[in-house]
Amino acid sequence: MAEEQKQDLLQLYRFCFLMLADAAKAQEIFHATLREAAQLAADGEAPRDRLWFFRNARWRCLEVSEQGLQPEDVDLEQDELAEWAPSQIEKLEPQQLAVWISGAPEPQRTALALFYLNEFSHRDLLSVTELKPNELSKLLCNGRREFQAWLDAAVPAEQP
Amino acid sequence: MSAAVQLSRRDRMMLHCVPLREEHVDDRALRTAIHHARKTEVLAIQQNFDKAAAGLVQAIPIPKEIVEWVPTETFIAPARRPWKRYAQNPALLATGIAVLVIAIVGVIQLVDRLNRFPGEATARRLLTTASSNKSMMLDPVKTEAGALGDFLFMKHRLVHYDVPAEFADLKTLGCRVFDDEEGQRVAQVWLVEKKMQLFMFPAERDVKTGAVKHFEGWRYLDQDRWTGVVKEESGVCFMAAVRGSEKDLAPYISKKKE
Repeated sequence: MAEEQKQDLLQLYRFCFLMLADAAKAQEIFHATLREAAQLAADGEAPRDRLWFFRNARWRCLEVSEQGLQPEDVDLEQDELAEWAPSQIEKLEPQQLAVWISGAPEPQRTALALFYLNEFSHRDLLSVTELKPNELSKLLCNGRREFQAWLDAAVPAEQP
Repeated sequence: MSAAVQLSRRDRMMLHCVPLREEHVDDRALRTAIHHARKTEVLAIQQNFDKAAAGLVQAIPIPKEIVEWVPTETFIAPARRPWKRYAQNPALLATGIAVLVIAIVGVIQLVDRLNRFPGEATARRLLTTASSNKSMMLDPVKTEAGALGDFLFMKHRLVHYDVPAEFADLKTLGCRVFDDEEGQRVAQVWLVEKKMQLFMFPAERDVKTGAVKHFEGWRYLDQDRWTGVVKEESGVCFMAAVRGSEKDLAPYISKKKE
């Protein structure tokens, strides 16, 4: 297997983790997705591209997350992106980011998870999220600002 | 931030989607927006924010079970070559053109074969006769074409030499009966309308059995600017011939008469 494809599958696990913020569930969905791909390949109907894995895992994640506690539908505060935001983010643990992203409503959660995997082109993102460019733009813009507001509250930074 | 004010609404919208890796920019509008905003502070801040968040995502630890479980074979189907690449291959292009030409020739031959009918050779000879004859060569007979069946039977003993209903009402100028080069008795009628000529001649027969080779409906043929339309009935072929094209004869045979 090419190193690139192996990397894609590792990113698939990270995607599941960002969607659920739960390592065990992410692992379960990762395995289920790969099992289905293997079954399809055995039947001579192998997935056409790597996006299939992320689409499949996405719907599995949404299915799983519907069973647990649901986040309240509230308008989060938004702040302008700060120059010092990178230093705030560096102080976080990956789990904290995953908790924040997994708490976002759909389809913003999928959009943020896929965008920050830094694996997909613009068209790929639109394809997997099934969003229009203006919708994706709005979700990413609001996501950043809301995350900045959360950062300002959770990891106050010393402004230069 | 002041530079952002100069950006169009579309540019501002697209900038929120700017990926971190340049190879992920696969949209023209996105590329244009990046070009317009490349030196703005707002894009730089956003990109630094995104880099930090993406870095944190890459720090998500991969469990040992996942690393070990990643299969050794690929599950992704091999990419199909787009048809454009095939089309640009000279060998395939040449083969494609050759196949196309063969197909066209085949279709032309098939259409030609479908249009053939028993007695066509005689009909073509009679078209030549039609184009070279003058009305004065015929015996003057002024009546309706439909009445000539009885005349031909009574005077020349020609059985079933009847004019079909489609042409029966047309007025005649003259008529003659002659033997063609194969010794077949041919009746020729000259009409007033469009200087049309009618021919009646024995249908082609099977050489071995002597049985009449029947065919259904009207068949067109053309030769040297003359067009004929032929029908077989009771072992006799009828042909209407006119100087012109199919469209000159079509109105007659399209009207169904009892």
